[in-house]
Amino acid sequence: MASIRVENIEKTFGKFKALNGVSLEVRDQEFVVLLGPSGCGKTTLLRIIAGLEQAEKGRVWIGDRDVSQLPPRARKIAMVFQNYAVFPHLTVFENIAFGLRMQKAAPEKLKANVERAANLMHIENLLERYPAQLSGGQRQRVAVARALAVEPEVLLMDEPLSNLDALLRLEMRAELKRLLAESRTTTLYVTHDQVEAMSLADRIAVMNTGYVVQYDEPMKVYQEPANTFVGGFIGSPPMNFLKLPVEGRQARIDSLSLDLPMAAPGPEVLLGVRPEDLEAFTVQQPQSFPAEVLVVEPLGPHLLLTLHFGQQHLKATVPPDFAVRAGQTIWLKPQPDRLRWLDPSSGQALEAR
Amino acid sequence: MNLRWLYLFLAIVLVLWVLIPIFLIATLAFSDRPSVFAWPKGLLPQQFSLETISFFFGVEGVWKAIRNSLTVAAMTLVFSVLLGAPAGYALARYRFAGADAYRLLILMTRAFPLAILAIPLAVQFIQVGIYDTAFGVALVHTALALPFAVLVTSSLFLGIPKELEEAAWTLGCNRIQAFLRVVLPLALPGLAATAIFAFVISWNEVFAATLLTLRERTLPAFLLTSLNDSPLPFRFAGGFFLIVPALIFIFVIRRYLFTLWGIANR
Repeated sequence: MASIRVENIEKTFGKFKALNGVSLEVRDQEFVVLLGPSGCGKTTLLRIIAGLEQAEKGRVWIGDRDVSQLPPRARKIAMVFQNYAVFPHLTVFENIAFGLRMQKAAPEKLKANVERAANLMHIENLLERYPAQLSGGQRQRVAVARALAVEPEVLLMDEPLSNLDALLRLEMRAELKRLLAESRTTTLYVTHDQVEAMSLADRIAVMNTGYVVQYDEPMKVYQEPANTFVGGFIGSPPMNFLKLPVEGRQARIDSLSLDLPMAAPGPEVLLGVRPEDLEAFTVQQPQSFPAEVLVVEPLGPHLLLTLHFGQQHLKATVPPDFAVRAGQTIWLKPQPDRLRWLDPSSGQALEAR
Repeated sequence: MNLRWLYLFLAIVLVLWVLIPIFLIATLAFSDRPSVFAWPKGLLPQQFSLETISFFFGVEGVWKAIRNSLTVAAMTLVFSVLLGAPAGYALARYRFAGADAYRLLILMTRAFPLAILAIPLAVQFIQVGIYDTAFGVALVHTALALPFAVLVTSSLFLGIPKELEEAAWTLGCNRIQAFLRVVLPLALPGLAATAIFAFVISWNEVFAATLLTLRERTLPAFLLTSLNDSPLPFRFAGGFFLIVPALIFIFVIRRYLFTLWGIANR
């Protein structure tokens, strides 16, 4: 078990700059998720930590060892790949034992470790099978068991659930969380699925265009996005951003004035508010602003409303019994403690001062 | 509907075109002397007999030629796999400048007419001292077999996901161990097919073998130079022994040849 520290990693593919000086620290026994859209550099960063890719600049530490120049086999890591990469010519037992055989582990230890890993993943009855005789979910279990069997200092996972169907993914997600909480292995996990990231991570590193744009606990990232990208990428539907005029230390939405906890950077400010943090009323309320309903989508647990405020669109989720139809004007009351203020020109969040 | 019958008819004609000579050679190789010379010949074998075959093996030089052929083919097989597989691996795994040009260039070696090369090659071989040796012929045969070896193995390695190797690296293998423990077992059937194909190319090659040998003839070269002044049964038996191994081998590895042609068509 060990921490991971990367410093100023830069990587270019041809003319494409994949990583622009990324620094990140994962604490011992922590579960960190690298989250971002495809092409943001998250998988490249993981592969650099694994040693499968060479960075042009920067260093990688695992524990207190500088592993930047070491090949993958000397880094004491284990990796789970998106397409499982289970060896088709070996039985499940031999797959799980592969790393231990390479370490020349004693036969008793080998057998014990394989059985423990297989038990953890509930595949102890499949040990004699070949991968071709397994389902996708079972292969993924073998891949995870194979990684755990070598008792790595650090576990790296590259979108391990994205090839599974939706139901299985949900099941495996919960199981992974239980498993890794038990084994307490330092884990770095790459995904583009924000729900997966939220559910699994101790901390999420949100990446975009080769930068880590925010690195914080899941609820912090959700409630206090560092910029418009994070607010828009995390959450479904994404955070609303409304451009509002500023008067002194107040921003105005229609007749409603909201106190700014900081000095505005200019004549306008961006208000970030989550769709569920807008309370909806059919009649005017104090501390609310009017918006016209464009679309009503019943989603089961709630209604998703698409609304018009002036020229700006926004979304709100309201209770399923809220009586509303398209074309109607309703009143929205933002929850005052859940507002995020951002600079409209840079998209960066403004910190209270 | 009529078109389908036409296709079927043409297909049958083509198949017969290929099969009838093989059939005649095979039946006559196993007939006795009189029926070899008989005319008109019946379609079915007249009389089974090993007379022709044993006569063939009794002819002076046949055993030596077979031995030479086997030696040359075995050398070609080893050289083709040892040189072709690494090249195929490189083409499959690494993006390097000129990879596509290299791929094309390999095929171009097959387009270069051997007839033009033959005389300079013979001269060069005499100077180096490998003229009239199995090794010399095997070198030329390797040059002929190598394009196929490279392209087949490259598609073979392309079919083995890179992640399998990477997984092996993260689990404690260096590159060579990962290749031996993961890639090689998976590639083995295809590598065997590549080897057999190289063997067949060498076994059947007659032109270079004739030009580059005098006494150390391979079987096709030996037969070619002695056909005109040999009796008919000898020709049939000789033909039979040239065709059969090639047919059997090609049949065994046909699946891999289709993948090769799949590449060639792309």
